[in-house]
Amino acid sequence: MEGFLANILNGLSWGMLLFLISMGLTTVFGVMGVLNFAHGSLFMLGSYLCMQFVRWSGSFWMGLIFGPPIVAALSILIERFLLRPLYGRDVSFQLLLTFGLMLFLDDGVRLIWGPAYHVVAPPAILAGVIPFFSQSYPVYRIFLVILGPLVGLGLWMFFTFTRWGKILRASAMDRQMAEIIGVRVPILFTGVFAFGAWLAALGGALAAPHQSVGPAMGERIIIESFIVVVIGGMGSFPGAFVGALILGLLNSFGTTWIPDLQMALPYLFLAVILLTRPRGLFGGEA
Amino acid sequence: MKHRWLSVLLMLLVVFAMAGAGFAAEKPVKVGFVYIMSGPFATYGQFAKQGAELAIDEINAAGGINGRKVEALFEDSTGKPDVGIRAIRKLVYENEVDVVMGIDSSGVASAVAPIMNELKTPLIITHAATPDVTGTNCNRYTFRVSLNINQNIAMASKLAAKLKAKTWTTVGPDYSFGHQSWEYFQKYLQPLKQDAVFLPKDQVAFSPMSTTDFSPYITKILNSKADGVLISLWGGNLIDFIRQASDMGFFDGKREVLMTLGAATEVLYSLKDKMPENIWVGTRYWFAANDSPVNKAFVDAYMKRYNVYPSYNAHGAYAALKAYAAAAKKANSVDKEKIVTALEGLSIEVPVGKITIRPEDHQAVTDGVWGQTTADPKMPIRTLKNIFQLPGDAITPPVSETGCKMK
Repeated sequence: MEGFLANILNGLSWGMLLFLISMGLTTVFGVMGVLNFAHGSLFMLGSYLCMQFVRWSGSFWMGLIFGPPIVAALSILIERFLLRPLYGRDVSFQLLLTFGLMLFLDDGVRLIWGPAYHVVAPPAILAGVIPFFSQSYPVYRIFLVILGPLVGLGLWMFFTFTRWGKILRASAMDRQMAEIIGVRVPILFTGVFAFGAWLAALGGALAAPHQSVGPAMGERIIIESFIVVVIGGMGSFPGAFVGALILGLLNSFGTTWIPDLQMALPYLFLAVILLTRPRGLFGGEA
Repeated sequence: MKHRWLSVLLMLLVVFAMAGAGFAAEKPVKVGFVYIMSGPFATYGQFAKQGAELAIDEINAAGGINGRKVEALFEDSTGKPDVGIRAIRKLVYENEVDVVMGIDSSGVASAVAPIMNELKTPLIITHAATPDVTGTNCNRYTFRVSLNINQNIAMASKLAAKLKAKTWTTVGPDYSFGHQSWEYFQKYLQPLKQDAVFLPKDQVAFSPMSTTDFSPYITKILNSKADGVLISLWGGNLIDFIRQASDMGFFDGKREVLMTLGAATEVLYSLKDKMPENIWVGTRYWFAANDSPVNKAFVDAYMKRYNVYPSYNAHGAYAALKAYAAAAKKANSVDKEKIVTALEGLSIEVPVGKITIRPEDHQAVTDGVWGQTTADPKMPIRTLKNIFQLPGDAITPPVSETGCKMK
């Protein structure tokens, strides 16, 4: 029983990180039609900046507040000067560009911070453990499990009730029509790309006390995020939430019950979804 | 027009390059290194590079190898076998190196060792521990100066036999290294401790190298009935595991924990005081395990130059270069065939102690070191107490057991 509950918490906390990353990925894809390979590197950059702020200020919260906006600001430059000239071209140009960006950012952090692993301590209030049957469970993980749905709720409210949220959804549905009725699409694209980057970096900052900060830390999570986005339906927000939860739980229960298949499980699930619902769980009509 | 300028420029460059080569009194001895220089295990490559550069500067300051300067070329294997093979081919065919050293992962080592016969170039492995490359897959050109899995696990078993734990499980990386570590542990410990029980395959934990969230594996081990855990994770995996396991009460003293590569300073420097105390950790070299003049000189020089204590990987690269220099002196040549002959049976004192390269399987007989982590206010990292050291002869299985048939 305690193993079962621990597995649920393990799965949920990993799932919530996946959710934040996938959310940015799916928004950028949904509105702009850009598959951003560098998304995992923005996640990593968020982690490094959080670490740097923790070093300067000694407070994790400073890292969480100030790290992600810097990544968002950087991605405004990326969108404006690198991505924008490519919108009219073939999709492969975007893929090449974002792939190149990924390599550039991965090596960039190594140049600045070196190849070593860095450890970020969770903030004092979340640092402890709570008794969990005969064992203990870290408070920080429970914080992640609670924070994920809160961020999700905030985003849902933003998309449903605010003017900007509605414009975003409208543009995602029909870009041309949005342009015709007066939405300034170029600025919208810049905003969306920065927003996606902010979410990735927020995930990175939140991951910093939970795993170690090191080069290539985005590799694993970006692959799983792509799976989440496809399972949930490209561009679907509830899809990203449900997909991330499923993948997180598959990861924790798979490890316990079918260790030999654990690595293959996400891909098997992906294959089943693609065969039965090619547009993903929440994917709409074309 | 542009193209013509470019070709003129290129020709000039070629002329200069050739002239430059002509001016040099004698060609340098070229040593190619292949390490993991990027990704989650990149610190190992960085330490190795430091160890190599220190050794090369020492050798060059003392007049080089047979009067020739030594020059190093570093390549990144990224920890992937195919990339490692490409790197070695490039070093041999394009850069025309005289010898190749390095190799961090057993996966890479198993893939590159067989092609050394085709490249006819000596390879000195300084880190990868798979028994295959000096066992069933051994060949004329492949050598290893560092401890292999058999030796490391032979020590782990002798240590485990003395501990109270009876039921053992494992957490290891999900590739040959993790699986072989667990396999040898069972094989070596059973005869030493007849009542030892090992958990079956579906209850032990092997995590993919890309894992960053170890909580499912930790939960699995916590809920098993094991009171002893052999951990063969390394690098970033080990760091993530230790941090997350500490939070979940893994190191509460209820179970004996053996980490086969826990005394890597790469790991200790990252974790600092987050490394739990009183854990048994193994290594291939521990900077404070002996106070021979050779070791003291190495640690002092390393500390002075890099301001960190040398890791076992730094030591591996350093020792390989010293062994190569000794072989070149013995052969009075850097001819690849003559080097192979000179390396066979070579005995040399390196910081870890005296090592001897067995001519039959090319594995170095070298001492093993284990110890228990402890805090020392004078040290920036956790250090070791109760150091448990055994001579190479006592932990190296005889050649007949390795399965090596030299080709």
